[in-house]
Amino acid sequence: MRAQLTTLAAASAATILLAACGSGEEGGGSAASGERAGEGTGDSCTIEAPVPIGAVLSLTGAAASYGESQQKGLELAAEELAEKEGVTYELTIEDDQTDPRQGITLFDEFVTSDVSLIIGPTLSNAAVQADPIAQEAGVPVLGISNTAAGVTEIGDYIHRNSLTESAVIPQTIAKATEEYGLEKVVVMYSNDDAFTESGFEAFSGALEDEGVEVAEEITFSKADTDFRALLTQAKESQPDALVVSALIEAAIPLVTQARELGIDVPIIGGNGFNNPRLMADAGDAAEGVVVGAAWNSSSDNPENQAFLEAFEAKYDAQPDQFAAQAYTGLKLVDEAVRSGCSADREAIKEALGGLENVPTVLGEFSIDENRDAVHPAVVQVVQDGKFTVLE
Amino acid sequence: MLLEYATPLTFVALGAIFAYSFYAVLIAGQLSLGQAGFASVAAFSAAALAPGREEVGEVPALLIAVAIGMTVGALAAVVLGLPTMHLRGVFLAIATLGFAEAVRVVLLNSEWTGGAQGLAVPRILTLGMAWTALAVVAYWFWRMGRSRYGRALEAIREDELAARSMGIDVGRHRLAAFVTAGAVAGLYGVLFAYYVRLIAPNDFDFAAAVEGLVTAVVGGSTMFLGPLLGSGFQTMVPEIQRAVGVEAGWIRPFLASLLLLVVILFLPGGLASLLPRRTRMPASSGKDDEDGDGRSHLATRRHPGAGETVAALTALGKEYGGVHAVRNIDLEVRAGEVVGLIGPNGAGKTTLVNMISGLVPPSSGGATVLGVTIGRTPVHKVASAGVSRTFQHSKLFNRLSALENVLVGGHLVSRPTFLRRLLWLPSARRDEQAALEQAARCLRRVGLADSAGIRASALSYGDQRRLEIARALASDPSLLILDEPAAGMNHVEAAKLSTLIRSLAADGLTILFIEHNVGMVLETCTRVVVLNFGEVIASGTPEEIAADPAVIEAYLGTEDDEPVTGSIAEGTLADPTGGDPDDVAPDAVINVHPGAAGTLDPPDTTPRNAT
Amino acid sequence: MQQLLNGIFIGSIYALFAIGFTLVFGILDRLNLAHPAVFAASAFVGIELVERGGLSLWAALPIVFVFGAVLGLVIERLAFRPLKGRADAHFAGLISSIALAGMLIAVLQWRYGPDTRRFPPGSFPDTRFGVGGAQVTLVQVVILAVSLALMVGLTYMVTRSRLGRGMRAVAENPTAARVLGVNVDRITAVTFAISSALGAVAGVLFAINVNTAQLGMGSAIELKGLAVIIVGGMGSLPGALIGGLVLGLAEVFAVQYIGSSWRDVIAFGLLFVILLLRPQGLLGARKVREV
Repeated sequence: MRAQLTTLAAASAATILLAACGSGEEGGGSAASGERAGEGTGDSCTIEAPVPIGAVLSLTGAAASYGESQQKGLELAAEELAEKEGVTYELTIEDDQTDPRQGITLFDEFVTSDVSLIIGPTLSNAAVQADPIAQEAGVPVLGISNTAAGVTEIGDYIHRNSLTESAVIPQTIAKATEEYGLEKVVVMYSNDDAFTESGFEAFSGALEDEGVEVAEEITFSKADTDFRALLTQAKESQPDALVVSALIEAAIPLVTQARELGIDVPIIGGNGFNNPRLMADAGDAAEGVVVGAAWNSSSDNPENQAFLEAFEAKYDAQPDQFAAQAYTGLKLVDEAVRSGCSADREAIKEALGGLENVPTVLGEFSIDENRDAVHPAVVQVVQDGKFTVLE
Repeated sequence: MLLEYATPLTFVALGAIFAYSFYAVLIAGQLSLGQAGFASVAAFSAAALAPGREEVGEVPALLIAVAIGMTVGALAAVVLGLPTMHLRGVFLAIATLGFAEAVRVVLLNSEWTGGAQGLAVPRILTLGMAWTALAVVAYWFWRMGRSRYGRALEAIREDELAARSMGIDVGRHRLAAFVTAGAVAGLYGVLFAYYVRLIAPNDFDFAAAVEGLVTAVVGGSTMFLGPLLGSGFQTMVPEIQRAVGVEAGWIRPFLASLLLLVVILFLPGGLASLLPRRTRMPASSGKDDEDGDGRSHLATRRHPGAGETVAALTALGKEYGGVHAVRNIDLEVRAGEVVGLIGPNGAGKTTLVNMISGLVPPSSGGATVLGVTIGRTPVHKVASAGVSRTFQHSKLFNRLSALENVLVGGHLVSRPTFLRRLLWLPSARRDEQAALEQAARCLRRVGLADSAGIRASALSYGDQRRLEIARALASDPSLLILDEPAAGMNHVEAAKLSTLIRSLAADGLTILFIEHNVGMVLETCTRVVVLNFGEVIASGTPEEIAADPAVIEAYLGTEDDEPVTGSIAEGTLADPTGGDPDDVAPDAVINVHPGAAGTLDPPDTTPRNAT
Repeated sequence: MQQLLNGIFIGSIYALFAIGFTLVFGILDRLNLAHPAVFAASAFVGIELVERGGLSLWAALPIVFVFGAVLGLVIERLAFRPLKGRADAHFAGLISSIALAGMLIAVLQWRYGPDTRRFPPGSFPDTRFGVGGAQVTLVQVVILAVSLALMVGLTYMVTRSRLGRGMRAVAENPTAARVLGVNVDRITAVTFAISSALGAVAGVLFAINVNTAQLGMGSAIELKGLAVIIVGGMGSLPGALIGGLVLGLAEVFAVQYIGSSWRDVIAFGLLFVILLLRPQGLLGARKVREV
């Protein structure tokens, strides 16, 4: 029954078959583990059976826009990997509908369907809920957008390639303070979202370290789009900058309305702002927005340039950070599989944990002893409708 | 096989428990969206207060958490319920929704809940535990279904006013239903928390509440298995879509919504309506079991002795925005009397009986009915003093069977059985049996014994009127008020009704009835009161009234219903059995239910405890 | 001053949205929970008209109005009419409209993707005024004017026109209205059309005002809309306007004086207090129960 289900799922359009023909005969249970070891190392590694990989993304519901970006990133990476000899991947992308129950169910299904590794889920809260299932079953997980503290503490099978807010924000605040001589700021954040709330905490800590006074903390809801009352309130404190922890949906109207109300001070944001839509939708209002982020979209490293080009060619749009991290994620998985030339769960787990100085879209990438990502973060500022690095 | 689907099956159980918290109030006709709030407070309180599994072990930790959660949920329901129980329909829904949203915002802003990042909770719940909890909850509602309490809730759902008039304390019952919902929602919150490992206030938002409501309604909110079916449906739809290979993305929510729409449009009553429903019939062990065995399980009532004052009205008046519907009425009704209230449309008859039965408070004057003071006494108290009534426009409990309608009518004289039914105590069974027999007797008395299993709304008009009378009789009243019981009946039916009323009076029942069929009134009543423009213009024996020139001028003169006038002038008085003999034969064949003729005619021998 | 204006502008959008709810509720005694989906759908359609169709906003608005009206008819036909006369119509109507809203949002995601969108820059003149030291954009003035005009027009229509009399008759007593020769089905359908058309206009104006349109924009305003109709009084048009403004101002001043975290608690607290003290709302009439 299970094998049948897998076959059906593999036949669905959401499934990308990287092998010319999915063998579909990897039965349930532990039997598969042994077959997934191959010969050779790195580029010469050859594994007979396709390597099944599951991805749990939020393709519908509140987080659909991130999930969709991630889907694009993963599919692009999968396409590129398919052209490489030796190892074939069978990537199944599933939708958790931004619902914890679906996330848990999907992890459960992937674990029993014997995937080598699970990518995702999109949201940190979902990761805290679902990752323990993989941990208990001994299935490695690679988070590609989980930034909350404690996700990798769930266990030694849980990894992520997404820098936490606390790895990005102190640098951002330090740079901005230096650049704009910040003394007094207003902090605004949506307090009903785990990502933005933890971003706020990181901002608070960093501001305190830099000795910047917080004149006021203003909260809103992630579904809010009219910020005029809040901005009017913020304006009264006459801050040197607005520090905002928000997702892109809120960032665009917030930035537009701030400028409209005559707030011309810099607006400082975190990972949530690192999205080309900011410039596309907020237009001129986005000028001067400072964004601390895990991915330097304007980086000229060859991997990044190739990624930007390939992404534009395939989707006719610019990628955002979610796409970049997702793309990098699958590439890192390939790296890990090839380094040990085995798609065993244990082998992948070992190899992922040992990744060091891998050249990626995100820069030189390593996994540290806590299974968190280590790579350069970047502070960008919007200039002439483009992100440029704030030096 | 089962273990492979452990996760979805656990969510089926959890979803069903949450849906039961909606079912708990939907069954009483209340639409509440506050359950997500109850679940939220309960889950967070339990997670924060319950001891860890290291201290007491897994199962005790969960049980303690459940106890805390259900208590907190129930308390929250009391706090919210007390001020909001007077709200109805959408108003209640929005008020409770406002509460749930406020809870969510407060929890988001609280330190101890971890805000949006949530509170970590150990996973203790297993598939078996979830289904055990579900079984307990389902059992609760199953046993509630056919208890006196369960019937009262259904009656409130179908027609609140009629339920009140049957002596049901609607406020208390609604609050009880609400608190049950709070406790069940609390249970859900805790179980959910102890399964998903991390709870955030947003897990209990508006969308969650709506989903709970959808689950309950899709499953069916009138049948205890409904929530389970609904949850199975809602949980399995995504599973099936995945299994069938529907592409992940927009098409899945689209299909799920479409399916939901189809179910709701084409299955009135939800998925549960697909299940065959057993209609309950009285066990007809003894055809006429008036041997006292059955009655001993019913509460007995002390009826006023013949000639004692049943109702005393002094200068009673009612004014609606300057219009005097009723003014200055002095009237005394004594036990054993059959008082007919006649008068042209708009004369204030219904307003008067509404005041007597406690539905409408008088604006001047006062009245005492069976020892209670009208105006300050809630309707159900008036009813429990021994007043029972029918309504001008039938107010039956439409989705209940005829028998169930009458069972609700017997609310006041039957005993509460729910808690004893939970424990399967034989005494509950005996009490239910007694109530059933009593209801069956009342149905037989009005000639509806064969229609016991038929939904009230499916009965013919005349049968509905008779069912209302049976329902009113079931409470063993001292004063029976009938508001136009013969409206829409033909001669034969009216004559039978007249016979029935007189036989009831013969048993010592005091009857006050409004009727337009003057002939019938004159032949049935011992006394007739004529109202016009809110005032009594005449009162006396039928003979006196028929001869009263004031009545003829003020009332009969304006009446253009020729046959009525005719019947007074000639036949009816002389022939108290009613109607033209020529008309009776053909009508009887066509209009009377088979068997009904035989049961309605003989005077009922049910002993009444008249003292 | 700025805050006062902020409150008035946001309040007038709440009002425009809430009128749709309140009209349908007044006639049918039912909540149409597909209304928020219409709000979102029309914003996306409006954007497409301006962006792809190259229409000016002024040309797009009437088209969106009609689009909304058609959606309203569809909603009435699919989600409400089939339930007529059913004993559980009250709950079933909620669920069927939720289901329809789910389908509508799914179709939107199919057509437009899950990303946020906005009206192209320059589709509306970027004029700003200074009023007593406060900043006001032309869009906001237009929103206020359109809301007021629609409100006044609608009130006039309901009180004076034949259609309006029909609507009131149906609201009062559908059975009696039918007996008196009012085409109840037609009146109901027209009410849905008008209500959705207003929701559609509200959606477009809202999207311009905040410079973003999202799939979830309707659900974000849904709760506010419910609060407005309760505060203003179910079924009352001027009540919806007043309720919208009261809510808008309450929110703004909650931010100013109490703290932004408690803004939504204020909104729902207000709702709660109104329900307890004056269940019929500020301007609603208490329905007398018939026995």
